Amino acid sequence: MRSDMLTSILNELNGTSADIEASGIISTDGLMMASALPADMDEDRVGAMSAAMLSLGDRTAQELARGTLEQVLIKGDNGYVLMTHAGEEAVLTVLAKPKAKLGLIFLDVKRASASIVDVI
Amino acid sequence: MTHDFEKLTQYAKSFTGLTTESEKLLKEVGPQIIPSLSSVTETFYAALALIPETKPYLEGRVEALQAMHTQWLEGLFTKDFDTSYTEAMYKVGDVHVKVKLPVEFMSGGMTLINNQLIPLVVNLYSNDPEKCTKVLSAINAATGFSLLTMQQSYQEASIAEELERFLKISGMSQKLFSNLAAAYKD
Repeated sequence: MRSDMLTSILNELNGTSADIEASGIISTDGLMMASALPADMDEDRVGAMSAAMLSLGDRTAQELARGTLEQVLIKGDNGYVLMTHAGEEAVLTVLAKPKAKLGLIFLDVKRASASIVDVI
Repeated sequence: MTHDFEKLTQYAKSFTGLTTESEKLLKEVGPQIIPSLSSVTETFYAALALIPETKPYLEGRVEALQAMHTQWLEGLFTKDFDTSYTEAMYKVGDVHVKVKLPVEFMSGGMTLINNQLIPLVVNLYSNDPEKCTKVLSAINAATGFSLLTMQQSYQEASIAEELERFLKISGMSQKLFSNLAAAYKD
């Protein structure tokens, strides 16, 4: 039930912008809770890598006196990976196209995170 | 962390050539060699005291270290080289990591010990070159066995210590790290 609700939040998020290619909700210990990923993407790897990156982001923000972490953004030739906390226990990861309009995606991700917190 | 000490014992034996016959020989010659071992230990620690890098690790604890060392040396000629021995040597390696002893001290130390034992054995069995050779080979195998098992734990303990530091720095939990490792195990 809860899993269905989380999947529905992800489907809605992916539908808000054609620039969003995939998304996942992951526990802070790196296990996938719900996902809307392409079939060729390994859920375990996306989950563990996202949680690890966010954890490192937390520490980096702390060490370099940047305050509380809001998000981790990675840009590559093929697009973006955006990771944010969704409450204390979950991570929301979004994969976006290279020319994605980040401002809109940030807003959608923020809304999705709040919805995830409500469900969890 | 659990370890298969039986496997490690066989692994160490396969490298060092420590056989049932050589273990038997060590026990046979033990009564002739053991009385000289405290002097081997004294010479060993005197040599360590001359090395600037090892000296700081000895200060204020030479007597206690010497007693343990002599006990271990005697064990080479009295104990079975079984899983209990392997486990004990493994723990010695762990302790060396905890006191941050540089890794080369173990192989260096073992060389110093062999350098002491060789003339002792040659002196005892010079009239029987065949036996002398066998005893020297058996001792070399026994000290090699001890070194290998200690280094094995040293290596694992060092990795564990570095991992612990990495987790602390990165903020990752042990569980997250395990999940990450599991996701990339293939």
